[in-house]
Amino acid sequence: MIEVEGLTKLYDKFPAVSDLSFTVRPGEVLGLVGPNGAGKTTTLRCLSGIIPATRGSARIAGADLAQNTIAAKRQLAFFSDEPRLFEYLTVWQHLVFTARIYQVDHYEELGRLLLAELEMSDKVEQLPGELSRGMKQKLAIACGLLHSPKVIFFDEPLTGLDPLGIRRMKDSILKRAREGAAIIISSHLLHLLEEVCSHVLILKGGRKILDGTMVEILQKSSEHAGDANLEEVFFRATGEAKANA
Amino acid sequence: MIGALVYLQMQSFKNRLRMRLRRLKQPKYLVGALVGGAYFYFFFFRNVFVRGRSITAASETVSAETLLLFELMGALALFLMVLSAWIFPHERAALLFSEAEVAFLFPAPVTRRTLIHFKLLRSQIAILFTTFFLTLVSGRFGHGGNVWIHAAGWWLVLSTLNLHTLAASFARTRLLDFGVSNLRRRLIVLSVVALLAAAVLRWVKSSVPAPEASDFADLEALKYYLRHALESGPALYALIPFRLVARPYLAPDAGAFLAAFIPAAALLLLHYWWVVRADVAFEEASVELSHKFAERIAAVRAGGGWHSAPKPKKRKSAPFTLQPTGASAVAFLWKNLISAGHAFTLRTWIFLAFFAVCAGVPLGLTSSSKGWLLPAVGVLTVILTGYSLFLGPAILRQDLRQDLANADILKMYPLRGWQVVLGELLAPAAILTGVQWCLVLLAAATFSRFPEDNPIPLSTRLSLGAAVAIIAPMLNLVSLVIPNASALLFPAWMQSGRQPVGGIEVMGQRLIFMLGSVLVFGLALVPAGVLFALVFLLLQIFLGEMLAVPFGAAVASTVLAAEAALAIWWMGRLFERFDLSAESAG
Repeated sequence: MIEVEGLTKLYDKFPAVSDLSFTVRPGEVLGLVGPNGAGKTTTLRCLSGIIPATRGSARIAGADLAQNTIAAKRQLAFFSDEPRLFEYLTVWQHLVFTARIYQVDHYEELGRLLLAELEMSDKVEQLPGELSRGMKQKLAIACGLLHSPKVIFFDEPLTGLDPLGIRRMKDSILKRAREGAAIIISSHLLHLLEEVCSHVLILKGGRKILDGTMVEILQKSSEHAGDANLEEVFFRATGEAKANA
Repeated sequence: MIGALVYLQMQSFKNRLRMRLRRLKQPKYLVGALVGGAYFYFFFFRNVFVRGRSITAASETVSAETLLLFELMGALALFLMVLSAWIFPHERAALLFSEAEVAFLFPAPVTRRTLIHFKLLRSQIAILFTTFFLTLVSGRFGHGGNVWIHAAGWWLVLSTLNLHTLAASFARTRLLDFGVSNLRRRLIVLSVVALLAAAVLRWVKSSVPAPEASDFADLEALKYYLRHALESGPALYALIPFRLVARPYLAPDAGAFLAAFIPAAALLLLHYWWVVRADVAFEEASVELSHKFAERIAAVRAGGGWHSAPKPKKRKSAPFTLQPTGASAVAFLWKNLISAGHAFTLRTWIFLAFFAVCAGVPLGLTSSSKGWLLPAVGVLTVILTGYSLFLGPAILRQDLRQDLANADILKMYPLRGWQVVLGELLAPAAILTGVQWCLVLLAAATFSRFPEDNPIPLSTRLSLGAAVAIIAPMLNLVSLVIPNASALLFPAWMQSGRQPVGGIEVMGQRLIFMLGSVLVFGLALVPAGVLFALVFLLLQIFLGEMLAVPFGAAVASTVLAAEAALAIWWMGRLFERFDLSAESAG
């Protein structure tokens, strides 16, 4: 479960995220959308403890991120759009290192399963420099899932993946949600979010301008404009289409 | 088209300058700029304002004979540089462009010749900058009216060399296309050089009496031999073009400069014609080169070395088996030892220790014999041990400085800040300690005599060696804490940020950092030093000097450990609050 209350992040005086509040329950997948510079990545980085929030609170699986940081971090995984890896560790050494950090006792079996699921079993001895971008992404995912997190953040998870990889990623996200993980996905690919997310939150200029379940939002929108999809909802809410017209 | 490329250069230069000036609003850059400026003033420019004419007089006393000798030496140096351009490189011609330039210019309707002109134009910026620095460094700013002559001289030398290197790369590529392999080309060039050298030697042998050993004690005799060898016979003809290039720099006045400038400029134009007329495909190799260059820049900005990125990494075996549970700091030690590479496996250490004992003990046992070897090895190992303390942290960067580029991952881990910091410091501390212990072993075994032949008893060596071995790990930890704490406090100073850094302000920052590091390290040693002295004075009464030294070192080591623990805890707090995005935003 993710509980966010009044989250604010300032860079000097510039508000990257302002007074953001929302909740994601186990099994729910929240799509975080917004134009460039809306504060999506900053929100995810604050929620995963990478950068400190200026104000507000966030609880990850019941643990307050500011007060009980370690317990909160044990329960989460964050996948950035650009996979960050240690260039001198092989695929398997990444898993060994991550296992020690998260104290995952039975990592060998889990690691092999994850690598098999991500079709990387034949790459265990390779270094990140020898992997394609998609493979690097998969390795980051394998590391992130090794400790079976209850809360998962994805920042543009489909960047660099091939069509099969995209399908697998969508299936994987839904599988984790079914297993009870609370998930937030930030993406510009609105059709992906429409397929995968149960909830949507639209940000603009660091502020929440719309949120709710996918069904509610699409229904509300269709009352105004017939058969609506998330793209239309997004443009109407953010006024982007108007600005571009 | 060239107008657009000139515009690109000018605007890039202006924007970079503007960005640097804007950065001065931040106190850390302003202070850095002031310190850097002061350094330049006192080191280079002060002569212009203070000493002025007196140095001019000194420079004017350089004799024509000495100038000729300088010209010959300069020509020889240029000859070797040009020769290296024909012997060493093995790759096809490639012009260095940035990745953005490749992306914009290569698919654009720009001719190959225009690209070459653009490259030449850009290299002129670097050449002018280097000219300025070389003029400063060679002390010519203080030499009155010769400043411009020397600057123009440097410019001619650098520009001609630049054009020749480029032309040689084109010619090499053309030879490859004609089926002349690198090996064949090298053999041909070396054969020509060997023939020339043989001819010169033969000429010297036949025309100058063979030198005697006593001749080499006299500088004038040496000068004579050099002049005769290079200014007559075959060398005279071989060095003509190189002397033409070197001559303007050494011109004593404006008239002589003009006379020397005309043939040198003609040679430069000839090179220019050669380069722009060569129609060699360099695009593919340039794309690869620009990619490698971008990787290197990225590696440097991430805190690594210039050579840390371009080559594909090799898999490195783990130094030990990492268990999935236990202290998390050990995971960082394991990871960073892998990063440090094969040189730091347990097997290597055992071998080094074995070598230190096996080579050192027999050497040390011959303490009664005369000779310079034992004292030399002893003094060298002691000096190296001392240097390793200061240079080690600058060389071994398998710690936070390397990993700050991955701060996002580190901050996500369910670890306290101090756990991350401690873990990150362990690998370089362990490596440095290992090196020092091997050196101590070697020193204890070999340093049996002072250079003046005064023997050093084994007990003294063992006592001092044990003391150094005891205190070394904590000294290393403290010395490593300083640059790592600086990386957390001033990430922009340590090149861990994503933005490019450079310029006089960054040089000033590094000076401040260097002086600050020495000061902090000195201060950190004070409590340990005081306690060591007290314990030593007390214990020597009861246990004697030999035992009091290692005991004192143990107490001092405990004090240093406490200091390191405090520092690591504080750095942990810094790390938890560390916000790289704020640094980048700034």
